[in-house]
Amino acid sequence: MPEHRLIRDCLAELAAQLPPPVVAELADGLFQTCQRYLRQGLGQDAAAKAALAEFGEPRAIVAAFARASPARRAARTLLATGPLAGACWAAVLIGNHAWTWPRPAHHAHCAWHRAAVIALLASAAFSGSYRSARRTAAAACLGLTALDATMLAATAVIAPSVIWPVIVAATASAARLSYSVRALRAIHAG
Amino acid sequence: MRAEELKGHLDALLLATLEDGPRHGYAVIEALRQSTGGRLELPTGTIYPALHRLERARLIAGSWTVVGGRQRREYRLTAAGARALSGKRADWADFAAIITAALAARSCPSTA
Repeated sequence: MPEHRLIRDCLAELAAQLPPPVVAELADGLFQTCQRYLRQGLGQDAAAKAALAEFGEPRAIVAAFARASPARRAARTLLATGPLAGACWAAVLIGNHAWTWPRPAHHAHCAWHRAAVIALLASAAFSGSYRSARRTAAAACLGLTALDATMLAATAVIAPSVIWPVIVAATASAARLSYSVRALRAIHAG
Repeated sequence: MRAEELKGHLDALLLATLEDGPRHGYAVIEALRQSTGGRLELPTGTIYPALHRLERARLIAGSWTVVGGRQRREYRLTAAGARALSGKRADWADFAAIITAALAARSCPSTA
């Protein structure tokens, strides 16, 4: 049985934000709700309107999916734990008098990279848009993966002078890198 | 009962609807409607994100079927979900007992 125009419009609005399998599941739910009203004796228009009223506004449904999305959860976790990893590396850099190191341009590049990742994480963590949260969280996870991989590679160079802070910072970065990769998989799947 | 009053209890209600066997999203909504006497004022579309959240937490497991040419996602309670439901039931029983006792009519006189 073909869907009512109002139902099709609602599904089109949902499809603009949500992945196709989610929309297929919602379409089945809406279809069955509409069928229940038709069985109760309502006409096509009244049944479609009643089903949509019971289902809720597409914007509210998308927002509920965005709140429960792996992208938003990953962004919030990484934002909350970021200061801890940052503090570990700050201790390493201070202990090694990083301000005396050469290549200040490289330091500035790292600072911009970190700022961009934090901005992306904040955007994903508080986004009400499922698609936007997914895109920005994926970009942030890729950025963090690159940042942590760089810091881990640099560990070999700075390790000899301060051992235990480097071990703690490298462990924090390795754990975050592992989480970022898992989060990327979850974001891609969901 | 409004959606905000349900906060924190929706997961237990959804898990309970799957206790008797697998159901698809709409059947979960219908079971919830029957078990609550239709007194929940909840947009049914927002049940699906909650089901997806429970699936990611591995408390329920979903699988696709095709019925009448339509894709339908069916959910079943996992062992972890059954344990979580049991815990949530115990927590609710404790909570309800405490609040019931606190709100019960007092026989002792006021000190005011």
